[in-house]
Amino acid sequence: MNVHSSPTLWNRLVLWYHQMGSPPYFYAFAGRWRPWFIAATLITAAIGLYGGLLLAPPDYQQGDAYRIIFIHVPCAWMSLFTYAFMAGCGLVGLVWRVKLAEILAMEAAPIGAAFTFVTLVTGSLWGKPMWGAWWTWDARLTSELVLLFLYLGVIGLYHAFEDTRQGARAAAFLALIGVVNLPIVHYSVVWWNTLHQGTTVQLFGPSRITWSMLWPLLTMALSTHLYLGWSLLGRARVALLELEGGKDWARAIALKEASRG
Amino acid sequence: MSAPSARTGYVTILRRDLLLAWRRRGEAAFPVLYALIVATLFPFALGPEGALLARIAAGVVLVTVLLAMLLALDGLFRPDVEDGSLEQLLLAPQPLGLLLAAKILAHWLTTALPLLLASPLLAAMLHLPVAVLPVLLVALALATPLMSLLGALVVALTVGTRRSGMLLALMLLPLMVPVVIFAAGAVSAAQQGLPFIAPLAWLGAALVLALVLAPAACAAALRIALDA
Repeated sequence: MNVHSSPTLWNRLVLWYHQMGSPPYFYAFAGRWRPWFIAATLITAAIGLYGGLLLAPPDYQQGDAYRIIFIHVPCAWMSLFTYAFMAGCGLVGLVWRVKLAEILAMEAAPIGAAFTFVTLVTGSLWGKPMWGAWWTWDARLTSELVLLFLYLGVIGLYHAFEDTRQGARAAAFLALIGVVNLPIVHYSVVWWNTLHQGTTVQLFGPSRITWSMLWPLLTMALSTHLYLGWSLLGRARVALLELEGGKDWARAIALKEASRG
Repeated sequence: MSAPSARTGYVTILRRDLLLAWRRRGEAAFPVLYALIVATLFPFALGPEGALLARIAAGVVLVTVLLAMLLALDGLFRPDVEDGSLEQLLLAPQPLGLLLAAKILAHWLTTALPLLLASPLLAAMLHLPVAVLPVLLVALALATPLMSLLGALVVALTVGTRRSGMLLALMLLPLMVPVVIFAAGAVSAAQQGLPFIAPLAWLGAALVLALVLAPAACAAALRIALDA
């Protein structure tokens, strides 16, 4: 085997992963990438909203009211994606005790809670003209509400500890319990709904969504992912500085900022 | 000197916790008193019509009992953390999950069992049909140990923190939702004359699963929260 061969893609990935675990490296990396993330977020959001609000045809049943889905659905997807990301980072943090994974998990929680909250608010704004009620005990709505409580529990537990890293590990464990619990909640709520004969309103019905509505939706989904990246990198930078305030690299950054005026 | 067997450890912890509870037996009345007060408030809030109360009785009893258990949960580990005996448990050579299972069983016997015994009284106050009472009692008998196991898991995560009753409720709510749905589902099915075995079977299955997994998860949570 030739040890001097150029590094494979796998080697590069492993190297990158280990470098990312180093706070100063991550701090600089996050600072470099944030402007690109926010620029891409704004551009894709502008395209997606233009396509969704102006180009896409009105729905034959719901008229223009359906257009809230261009905010609502991407946020609903993101509420689940962020939870999965948080739980994945939490698992890495718990098993390998990677400081950065703990920080990313804990800083993702408020963003995910915000996405969940926006999903619930836009959903009830849409529900008022469509269903005639701000809220119904539909399985999806109820599961989303429980998801919000899960996020709030994780955030609350994290802040209840004096020691940040200990709090992050406990909250990461709670997030993992939630991963097991969430499907159980969803299916039990579905079962409960059929038992009680609740509303049987279908959000989209059997008709498939047309391309002119689908592409703005997917663009908005991309935009919300990029927003998560921008927000998360910024939050993680601040959390890193708070945690590592006494370290040399943080001191060097502070001195550099001070000399710049 | 070899360490005592896991069985000895289990029995010792169970006997110790039951003895401690017996020495302070007045405290066992508090959750029951709380449930009684809450159940009394419902007729004042909703009006005394028997038909309305009978319809909501099972749900009210169920939620009241679970809330009373939630209030008592804080006492599961708190005294042991304060006098340091929980750290001794963590250091014990016996498997921690098993010792915690003994603690959870003792806690269930001292807080949930009195509530279970008082629940026919609560049900009668709210005019629950007598024919449905056995179903409610079976549902409670399955739901309360489940609640104790899940509650222990959550309360283990908060032992390292300051007092946090509200946080406990927030963390426990997502875990309680399926328990409440199936327990209340069984009773309301029985009340409508429908078959009620399926939700009870689900509760039983969940209980068996939690009996196996929750003590081990509780041990892991405790080690994380105490950083041991």
